[in-house]
Amino acid sequence: MSQKDELPNTHTRVDPRLLEVLVCPITKSSLRYDAAAQELISDAAKLAFPIRDGIPIMLIDDARRIDE
Amino acid sequence: MVNRPQKKTEKSKLNNASENGQTETTQSGFGYQKTAPEMRTKLVREVFESVAPKYDVMNDVMSLGIHRLWKRDFVNGVAPKADEAILDLAGGTGDIAFLMQNARSRFTEPDNKITICDINPAMLNVGKQRAMDKGLHGKFDWVEGNAEELPFDDNSFDVVTIAFGLRNVTRLSKALSDILRVLKPGGRFYCLEFSHIPVPLLQKAYDRYSFGFLPWAGEKIAGDRAAYQYLAESIRAFPDQAALVKLMQNAGFNAVAYRNLSIGIAAIHHGFKG
Repeated sequence: MSQKDELPNTHTRVDPRLLEVLVCPITKSSLRYDAAAQELISDAAKLAFPIRDGIPIMLIDDARRIDE
Repeated sequence: MVNRPQKKTEKSKLNNASENGQTETTQSGFGYQKTAPEMRTKLVREVFESVAPKYDVMNDVMSLGIHRLWKRDFVNGVAPKADEAILDLAGGTGDIAFLMQNARSRFTEPDNKITICDINPAMLNVGKQRAMDKGLHGKFDWVEGNAEELPFDDNSFDVVTIAFGLRNVTRLSKALSDILRVLKPGGRFYCLEFSHIPVPLLQKAYDRYSFGFLPWAGEKIAGDRAAYQYLAESIRAFPDQAALVKLMQNAGFNAVAYRNLSIGIAAIHHGFKG
């Protein structure tokens, strides 16, 4: 998306209170926040949901599959 | 661009809008075209990516400019409070969330953020940019998510709103159940959506407008005839007022009621959890 590039690169942190209510969209179980990788990890679904520009992308199609 | 999808026989089996009318209601048509649910979700996403930059213009064309008044009316009805946890679904461009933020900070400055969830990154980017332009940045949490598979914990919100979004959801009853799940007990849900005019002659006139004029206007304004064709068809295919009441009741909402706007071109439905 072209608009994305025009957005300033600030405000990229996810609010801790948002992290409290976010769950895995499939299993509805809690998520692990990997601040370094900017990912929200669902151990139950074995999926890692990316955070881009401070927006958690909670779509299964966009998640990274975690292999054993 | 919207590609004309080929019917996938295997996926079509998933399209189980049951004949005896129980449980799942699947909006399988891409407009009127029959498509598998997964395919439809993807196609709807493409439509909104295509129209995102001219979303306001599109709404003006589709509602004869009245959508601005409808949205104000809608937010007045929601009457959001400063201390309430609020989720706005399909709210990417921020229209409803901005109005709610203004309404609820009239007397007390809220210390929590409104959560805006949309399946479409293009719409979220439009909204984020507009929030910054309005000096409202930091008042909202932005989440990319699907209304049918909400990434929020049970009993999280006092209020859930969706304006001109439910029509684009593939599995309506699945979305309604998940909305109920994330609401706190006693929480309320409000939906603003295009609906059906209960006067046949007027409905006919409106159909002529939306099927005749809209795709043409879409091509002229946004350069995308197919997207506007979808929008016109999706309005017509969406359940009427009474049918949506029934779907909400079946999902488990209490005290479900609706109110027509502009003689039923749009309607506001609401219901409570518990």
